[in-house]
Amino acid sequence: MDFVAKHLLTLTLFIPTLSGLILLFFPSEKKNVIRWAAFVLSLIPLALSLMLWFNYEASIPGFQFQEQYHWYSAIQASFHLGVDGISLTMVLLTTLLTPLSILASFNIEERVKAYMILFLLLETGMLGVFMALDLLIFFVFWEIGLVPMYFLINQWGSEKGERTIWGGKQISARTYASIKFMIYTMAGSLGLLLAVQMLGVVSGTFDIPLLIEKWNAIQGSLFGLSIGTVKALAFWAFALAFAIKVPVWPFHTWLPDAHTEAPTAGSMILAGVLLKLGAYGFLRLVLPLYPAEARTFAVALAFLATMAIIFGALDSYGQDDFKRLVAYSSVNHMGFVVLGIAAAAFKAGSENATIAINGAVLQMFNHGLSAAGMFFLVGVIYERTHTRSLKEYGGLFPLVPVFGGVLIFVSMSSLGLPGLNGFISEFLVVRGAWPIFTFYTALSMVGLLFTGAYILKGLKEVLHGPLNEKWVGHIKEMNSRELVVVTPLMALMLLIGVWPAWILDVINRTVEMLF
Amino acid sequence: MTIETIIWLLPLPPLLAFFLIVLFTNRSKKLSHIIAVGAALLSWAGSMVVFFRALQVGGHHLGEHPFTAAINWLPLGSGWLRIGVLVDPLSATTLFFVAWTVLTIFLYSVGYHNYGQPKGDADRMGLPPGGATVTDEHGHKHTVPSVEPMYSRFFAFIGLFAFGMYLLVVSDNLFTSFVGWEIMGLCSYLLIGFWYGKASARAAMIKAFITTRIGDVFMLLGIAYLYAQTGTLTFRQIFTPQILHELVSTPAPVLGLSAAGLIGILLFIGTVGKSAQWPLHVWLPDAMEGPTPVSAMIHAATMVSAGVYMVIRMFPLLSAGAEHAHLTTPMMAMAFIGAFTALFSATIAVAQNDIKRVLAYSTISQLGYMVAALGIGAYVAAAFHLVTHAFFKALLFLGSGSVIHGVEHGALYTSMHLDANDMFNMGGLKKKMPITFWTFLIGGFALSGFPVLTAGFWSKDEILSDAFGHGHHIVFWTLAAAALLTAFYTMRQISLTFLGKPRTEATRHAHETPWTMTTPLVILAMFAVTFGWLGVPEHFPVLGGLLPNWFHDFVGSTLTEHPETVPFNFVPLVVSLVVALGGLSLGWLVYRNVPAGAQDPLKKPLGKLYTILQHKYYFDEMYDFLFVRPATWISEVFAYQWIDRGVIDGLLHAIAALSLKIGSFLRNYIDIPIVNGSGDLAGNTIKRMGVTFRVLQTGRVQQYMVIAILTTVTFGAVFYYLLGWH
Amino acid sequence: MVPLPWYLIFAAALFCIGLYGVLARKNAIAILMGVELMLNAVNINLIAFWRYQAVEQVAGPAFAVIVFAVAAAEVAVGLALFISIYRRRDSIIADDIDLLKW
Repeated sequence: MDFVAKHLLTLTLFIPTLSGLILLFFPSEKKNVIRWAAFVLSLIPLALSLMLWFNYEASIPGFQFQEQYHWYSAIQASFHLGVDGISLTMVLLTTLLTPLSILASFNIEERVKAYMILFLLLETGMLGVFMALDLLIFFVFWEIGLVPMYFLINQWGSEKGERTIWGGKQISARTYASIKFMIYTMAGSLGLLLAVQMLGVVSGTFDIPLLIEKWNAIQGSLFGLSIGTVKALAFWAFALAFAIKVPVWPFHTWLPDAHTEAPTAGSMILAGVLLKLGAYGFLRLVLPLYPAEARTFAVALAFLATMAIIFGALDSYGQDDFKRLVAYSSVNHMGFVVLGIAAAAFKAGSENATIAINGAVLQMFNHGLSAAGMFFLVGVIYERTHTRSLKEYGGLFPLVPVFGGVLIFVSMSSLGLPGLNGFISEFLVVRGAWPIFTFYTALSMVGLLFTGAYILKGLKEVLHGPLNEKWVGHIKEMNSRELVVVTPLMALMLLIGVWPAWILDVINRTVEMLF
Repeated sequence: MTIETIIWLLPLPPLLAFFLIVLFTNRSKKLSHIIAVGAALLSWAGSMVVFFRALQVGGHHLGEHPFTAAINWLPLGSGWLRIGVLVDPLSATTLFFVAWTVLTIFLYSVGYHNYGQPKGDADRMGLPPGGATVTDEHGHKHTVPSVEPMYSRFFAFIGLFAFGMYLLVVSDNLFTSFVGWEIMGLCSYLLIGFWYGKASARAAMIKAFITTRIGDVFMLLGIAYLYAQTGTLTFRQIFTPQILHELVSTPAPVLGLSAAGLIGILLFIGTVGKSAQWPLHVWLPDAMEGPTPVSAMIHAATMVSAGVYMVIRMFPLLSAGAEHAHLTTPMMAMAFIGAFTALFSATIAVAQNDIKRVLAYSTISQLGYMVAALGIGAYVAAAFHLVTHAFFKALLFLGSGSVIHGVEHGALYTSMHLDANDMFNMGGLKKKMPITFWTFLIGGFALSGFPVLTAGFWSKDEILSDAFGHGHHIVFWTLAAAALLTAFYTMRQISLTFLGKPRTEATRHAHETPWTMTTPLVILAMFAVTFGWLGVPEHFPVLGGLLPNWFHDFVGSTLTEHPETVPFNFVPLVVSLVVALGGLSLGWLVYRNVPAGAQDPLKKPLGKLYTILQHKYYFDEMYDFLFVRPATWISEVFAYQWIDRGVIDGLLHAIAALSLKIGSFLRNYIDIPIVNGSGDLAGNTIKRMGVTFRVLQTGRVQQYMVIAILTTVTFGAVFYYLLGWH
Repeated sequence: MVPLPWYLIFAAALFCIGLYGVLARKNAIAILMGVELMLNAVNINLIAFWRYQAVEQVAGPAFAVIVFAVAAAEVAVGLALFISIYRRRDSIIADDIDLLKW
């Protein structure tokens, strides 16, 4: 027990990988055994992260559960892990969503073993980013997460659909989506890698807490350029990588494709956790490393966030494909995260900034819940109807009353209905950003209005209206496995909506100490 | 149990009922309605306890020391957002009418949804019950009303709704008020679309949600702004002189307003949406697609009133900085929009044939009254009208539901297919449905402001005399005109429905509804009469002073500055008598005897205007053209096809294509000719040499030997003689 | 003592005879014999040079002995190959054995 307590983070981080290795020894044709094994094994990190959560002391500043090992001493990089209130929240989200996603993928029939192993590897990648306190480690895990996702989309993605690319060439939609996802993110990572190297070389360390001190203390000139220019360049290298991942408008177009084509559980994780990596990067690295630059460019960031909010909502409203509608809603919701971050960057240290960041972090968590829930429900209805086109549903409510109720509930969380989680975070962002970016905040209300419009459009086309007789007798109600997937999400949505203090207190204290 | 604990617990029973029904009892109709009505009863009892405790304490004391309690809820930076409960005279009064209307409507719903009737022949979830065929002991087949297939769901929804309303009323801060506000919005959405299988209901539910959401997002901004400025959302902390003063003296970023002005306007826009004021009024008439108890509760008595309740609640902020007879910007906006809406929708109501739509427009109009009253600073009058209106409008809606129910019963009996909401299909129901008739008459008269007896008279009169007394003549005359029209269309409705002869076979076979439906009517009718007597002005001729003006004293003491009563003046009294009685008699004269199949008698004289009124000034069409279609176009074509697919993806594809071009350039012009070329050249040269020299390879050892020797000798000679290697 | 050039001329003649045998004879065994002659010519050279030039050193006879050994081994291997070829192709005529021809 002592061992576990001392190595909580490492264990949480690598048990998924280990589980993947264990799965390797299972015979491929025992699909059910593999599924259950993957599910049960993925519960271990959840249990560990719950241990983290309950042993975490919110009142102590700085990182907790730190672990540091030799790794690459020659270039002053070490294997350094640690969590604070922000990353702990994200770790909890990741370890919660992974078992649920695995449970949601029980209907995968092809190459189950490879699928589950990739999923577990993905979890390690994501957790690593949230836990890393070393820039090089951060980058390594940042890239690791890409690979399993690429294969999940490319191999298990939706089999239908084609996409026309430049020159009238047709390729299958999932190939298109996976390549777009991969290349887009890689393109962002390029600059990040360069900037990371530069920071490490200049500051003589990759350790994030140390780096923040040393980097900010640098004066004079570097490589023949003034330090301001170098910092601005490095800032944009970081910001671009994270902006693509979030994604901020106009770097968002990989998202609807990737989400739409990914398998249900892939979309759940993609929207639920992967997008948070970008926002987390802003919070953990960009704001502390480049306070001055972040302040200078905050207006630009706020503008892009507002555009993301508005255009995300509009795009979402303009869809006939249910899954794509939900995918675009992520752009809309993550826009609020970025708006909060931008506001905080502009007036760092003020009460408003604290509130905005609180809102942003909570919004990250909330969006993780609601987006995962929405994608799961889209998957449920897709599995029954084999179509994602809203025009082909129609009045399904009498056939699937339980599904309908769940869909309305989760949709309302996504819409930001007061009493559920989404509202709290959106309110905090708006409250925090209003005194700082009054105009953009006011403008983003257009997006908030259209959030209502597209959510209701989805509900309208799927559940309400005259019953489409085609589906009578062909659609089954949600089964208990599906209910088990969605129930924890719903419970958390309600809990955060009614009593947000349990999670916000942890976030708030960290934010107060950090910014 | 302390009174504060009771207040904390007030909203919970209906919420609990919601969860219980949804999770456990949704298969049992009986259990579901027992839980729901029981929950409403519990909340009602709690509200009564609170109300009577408030009476005991007395208005003045309660105004200064309201029942209040708060807890830390949301950690924000160094402080907390506190939420809590508050019952001051205003919320005590609101609690009173909310509790009564909610309870009566819960009870009414049992009958309205045909509890105890057989299951329908072809009923399906999402559609109104279509009747069941039963065979009596003689072997005759009858069609009788069938029970609502989603009976339990209805009670779950209204339970959740009641929770929202109670939450809003007892909140001590804008945040939880807003939570209740939006939960009601959700329930309104769900209940308007209760029969979601109908395309019209589906359209109406979305329209209602989106239209009110327009108001809500502005309100959210207002709340955020207020919170950012003052650091608190608790009413009593905001309404302190220094904070109000600070708000008034801080300039807002737009329009040259003060912070107080901008916050006020933003919050008021929320009310415009929720209380269906022009220009966001369009959703309320369509909301009549919902079951009638919903119309009564949500769209007449409680939720739409909540909009007005909110502005009354925020009145100290809205009026901050107002001098005598000088109105603040938000107040002017309210006075204008309220008065305009009151008249505007009253005109539309005149030309509607759907019994519920008439009431819907009348609701909009009456809410406009209250908003206008508040706009001119008539705080108490607005609150008074809010309460009386809630009673008589709920009564009218329930009455209309009873009428529709009766007619539908007749239609089923006679196997006729007709629009049971159309008043021109009715007539002569007075004898068939006496309880409904008499209660409806009371409600109608209250709405028209029938003198002295009805509550509507007293509240409306107070608004009019306030408007007149404070010199807001435009508002006064607009409201008076609206009152005239109100009396007229109310009498039109009563006459068409109950008087004259039955115009259809179905109406002839209509009969009175069960006790669960009539009891609420009677209770509400009682309040529609008596509640007015609580607010008789002191200086009213003859009657003044017989009863103390309790309402004014009690509710007025909510404000720190006790509002003064206006001195009595005969002009508004006479005007209100004339418009009420004139409108009623005019309506009776025109409509008392409309024969079957006849046109509306007003159609001819009004001509084109009638068509315009019937089409509600074409607002739906206009909004569709101006907002809905452009929004759809912008979303589907501009944002998605053009920007995302066209520009952004186009750019990406262009970059991809460019990379491809660069790649193929590198391959075609660098890699293939130069790199591969030189490699191939080396290979080819060697190959060619091989071809050339392979003839030497004869496979004969001796020839090899000869060559080897010759070569050795030759090279030896060359090295020795020519190169001189010794 | 016979002068050295005599030995050298003798060895050269022997070498040339051997070389001729190698180049001109058709029979592989004869070619092998030619090779032996050439080796022995070399041996004569080695011994002659040793006797006349560096009699105190042991390298000359030692080399000659190694050449004998190599020649013997060569013959053994060579004859084994010839037998093997003869078994397959029924001939040990050198011109017929042109497997390495292009």
